[in-house]
Amino acid sequence: MKAIRLGNKIVRTLVRDRMYYPDRLIVDTFGIIVRCGVLLVLYWYVFSLNDGMINNTTYIVAAWSMFFYFAFSVFRLRDISRAIMQDVQSGNVEILFSKPVSYLSYRMWWQVGAGLYPFLVISLVGTIALALIVGLPATMSVGIFIPTVVLVVFLGTLLSLFLYAVVGLLAFWIEDINPVFWIVDKTVMILGGSYLPVALFPDFMYKIALWSPFGASQFITHTVYETWATEWVMKIGIQVFWVLVVAIIVSVLFAKAREKVSVNGG
Amino acid sequence: MMKEIHFALYAIKKNIQSSAELRTSFLTNIVGMAINNTAFIIIWVFFVKSVGVINGWTAADIIGLLGFGVLSYGIVFSAAAGIRKLADYVAGGGFDRFMLSPKNLLMRVATSSFNVSALGDIVFGLACLVIYGLLVQVSFAQIFSIALLVLISVVVFLAAAIAAYSASFLFADANSVTSGLFELFTTPSLFHGGAFQGATRLVFTFLIPSLVVGALPVEIVKNVSLEQFAVVGIVAVVWFFLSLKLFSWGVKKYESTNFMTFGN
Repeated sequence: MKAIRLGNKIVRTLVRDRMYYPDRLIVDTFGIIVRCGVLLVLYWYVFSLNDGMINNTTYIVAAWSMFFYFAFSVFRLRDISRAIMQDVQSGNVEILFSKPVSYLSYRMWWQVGAGLYPFLVISLVGTIALALIVGLPATMSVGIFIPTVVLVVFLGTLLSLFLYAVVGLLAFWIEDINPVFWIVDKTVMILGGSYLPVALFPDFMYKIALWSPFGASQFITHTVYETWATEWVMKIGIQVFWVLVVAIIVSVLFAKAREKVSVNGG
Repeated sequence: MMKEIHFALYAIKKNIQSSAELRTSFLTNIVGMAINNTAFIIIWVFFVKSVGVINGWTAADIIGLLGFGVLSYGIVFSAAAGIRKLADYVAGGGFDRFMLSPKNLLMRVATSSFNVSALGDIVFGLACLVIYGLLVQVSFAQIFSIALLVLISVVVFLAAAIAAYSASFLFADANSVTSGLFELFTTPSLFHGGAFQGATRLVFTFLIPSLVVGALPVEIVKNVSLEQFAVVGIVAVVWFFLSLKLFSWGVKKYESTNFMTFGN
């Protein structure tokens, strides 16, 4: 209960901070227009060259799938890796370990709080803009769409936090986690369906995206396809499985990391 | 001028020697970045497989595009990584120490930092260009064109970096703004070149010169044309001088926020 109260306090404080200083929101909006906007224009051209259909997927569905990826990326959950590395490199971790709160849950709450406001605003504004520009696919008007999207975002958030926390915790053993971070991040980017929507994946790549934790963390991009109505139970099950597995890995790694640190005070 | 270049080369050499001291980190950064870049090849090669050849762009051309783009990125940010720190220097007052230096201000700032992972970009970019050359079986004239076009790409990349990061002088905490502006330039430079047609091609050639870094060089290598060479050459020169003007204009706007850290 105490931990939840602390988390709630951290999130509320950071959301207020982001609301008060809207610079980051402007930059995030600008960034998503640059990356996602240019990509949508290009795909519009590519789909029009192929009579509006590639791999039985229409432009509207592909556009929404990519938009969901970029909107979710605004959450910046991946930044937890570098935050942990900076704590380790600067020695700040010693101070945080001596506090009566769990270091990892503090870092996770912080990450959620820092990204929540831009994520919500950009998702809302982007959804309205995209609905007006390209329209809504029929799959988004199905009754299960909104509840399952909320669930998938929640599980995707947990899985992303755990995945990137594993990378961050490696900073206790290796001096620079950046190379590992790049590889994990790009794997998530490819299998998540960022620049290439999942519907255009070759069969083997789709299977990897489906069964790996990297792809599972971005199942939000799968929600607009027709197959979602029949596959959502399985996909949410896969997410739950990976959340549990990666959570166990995080707790084991964290316990080992704690043993390596000796807090001397001063 | 020669003295300035000599100083810049000396600073780059010292930066590399300093970074190489942490040998494991140095090597893992280079290898890690090279692996990281292959993600873009995977994405665009599967893109070509899914949607087919667009405006004559094959998977080999994508490798060439990444070769030009990543190599120029690597060269610029291994030699002049300090440009990316401009926002931090300005916000923290660290810029004062560069102004006090008798050396050329821009060159001093640019060579103040070194990015180890950019060496991984250079390795990856060179490998891509070699593979591209083998795949399309380039002639001697095309090899010469590639060398010249890499030089043009580097100039454009440097110009775009200077222009984007010069915005550091205009905002109180400009880190996010400058990164966003630079991303506006870099993101389309790694996109499939065949998909840029009509208005988008004009915008991303002249207004934001992203295509001059990779897509246009690949098209020039495929069909060596003096006209296109002249266009990219002129865009590079114009953007380079424009970026220098923007930097000088920004410096005039600079107001010190120093914490008396002249030596750090």
